[in-house]
Amino acid sequence: MSDRDQQLHDLTRPPSSASYLQEAWNRREFAILVPAQDLRAQNMGTVLGQLWHIANPALLVGVYFLIFGVVIDTSRGVENFLGFLIVGVVLFHLTQRVVQDAAVCISRNLGLIRSVQFPRILLPAATLNGQTAAFVPALVLAMVAVVATGERPSMRWLALPAVLAAQFLFNFGAALLVARIGASLSDLQQLLPHLFRLLFYASGVIFSVEAFVTSPGWRRAFALNPIYDVITCARWCLVGEPADGWVVAGLLAWCIALPLIGFVVFHRSEQRLGA
Amino acid sequence: MGPAVTVRVRDAHVYYRVYEDPVPGLKQIFAQGRARRRYRTIRALRGVSLDLHESETLGLIGANGAGKTTLLSAMTGLLPLESGTILGRCRPSLLGVSSALRPALSGRRNILIGGLALGFTKAEISSRADEIIDFSGLRDAIDRPMRTYSSGMRARLHFAIATARIPDILLIDEALAVGDEDFRRRSAQRIDEIRSAAGSVVLGTHVMDEIERHCDRVAWLDDGVLKAVGEPGEVVAAYLASTASR
Repeated sequence: MSDRDQQLHDLTRPPSSASYLQEAWNRREFAILVPAQDLRAQNMGTVLGQLWHIANPALLVGVYFLIFGVVIDTSRGVENFLGFLIVGVVLFHLTQRVVQDAAVCISRNLGLIRSVQFPRILLPAATLNGQTAAFVPALVLAMVAVVATGERPSMRWLALPAVLAAQFLFNFGAALLVARIGASLSDLQQLLPHLFRLLFYASGVIFSVEAFVTSPGWRRAFALNPIYDVITCARWCLVGEPADGWVVAGLLAWCIALPLIGFVVFHRSEQRLGA
Repeated sequence: MGPAVTVRVRDAHVYYRVYEDPVPGLKQIFAQGRARRRYRTIRALRGVSLDLHESETLGLIGANGAGKTTLLSAMTGLLPLESGTILGRCRPSLLGVSSALRPALSGRRNILIGGLALGFTKAEISSRADEIIDFSGLRDAIDRPMRTYSSGMRARLHFAIATARIPDILLIDEALAVGDEDFRRRSAQRIDEIRSAAGSVVLGTHVMDEIERHCDRVAWLDDGVLKAVGEPGEVVAAYLASTASR
């Protein structure tokens, strides 16, 4: 073997973890700009065009308000039900969109995975960024609605960015985990809508768990549900609903643990993704 | 001592699993004790060994399903091998940005997307955009949605993006044949640039005309095994003879 041949290295060996994160960070523009382009493309050819990013969440909230605020009254125990509902629906929807999109982010990009070497973590990260960017108009809408229904900005609002940051971290972890599972189990796509329907009711999106669940033991069990924790904390900030220590602790635990678990699970099978 | 090796493939096996059963339900898991799915193994590559040299264009021919695309993917190191090794002096780039591109968006926006997928920064892409557009020869159409492009125009754009940074080792899978004469001339130029910079090119194709035009050596892949490697004239003649007698 000549000297020159010894410069050859194994192409199938995965990069080490440290340089992996470095490389992912160097390529972060991919995970920011590509989903931004996708958002543009999404509503091309519709009459309302980019307005759909705000019309969609508005219609979503409108439908729930019509049914649960006007037709069936589940507003028991809530002072500002419209504000309560909007905060719940918008935040729940964000996590749902991130997770459902993440489930297909590997299979949708198989061609890219098979032809270009890049840290695969960029794919779930791009999903997260895209859906989070699409959520900003809905968040603005929610804030406007909360004020319009009689809430006044208070010191509690200052805690909202922290709650949203925690949700972002939790969503990231969930996206990594679901992207990994969805890559080898395409059934997950069919399963997720049902899981989210269950979570929808278990998160008190359209009713007050405080008012309907009287046993303190059961209420503590709700704190295990990360989406319930997010929504409850955000409602504490915006519409003055109560939130106890269990909920805050639950949110903290989820937003620290899940990204770490998600990263380890995703990174460990990185080389086999797309096989 | 022969020319230096840029990629060395040794006894590469690539198997695909094609599942015949659905994912087991809870019932089956309880009934059988564990989840087991029947699958067929497709042996796409069965022990391929090949050296790619400096300043060389290697043609890759073979019938549909012979494993050409699999071998090209494997040479990037991105396809898990069942066994064998793939060594290289750097990671070959497979002309495959097409899958990252978005048909609904304009050619210009797709240059950004494709460039980001290849690892360029936005600033690098902006500074090279004009060069890429010129090379693609699509200046008039660059702000139109890509879905309005003909297949040849799309191939031009893909090729222009993928070779924006002249790669050391370029793998091409059926990309050049759809272009017109002007595009063929431009792509031939790029391939020559890579070769003169001591790089290597692998060209998977069904068009024997392209082999004659570009290749110094040809590898004939048949059912996952290399049947012949050598002088383009001889290998192509043997391949054509085998298809005629089939």
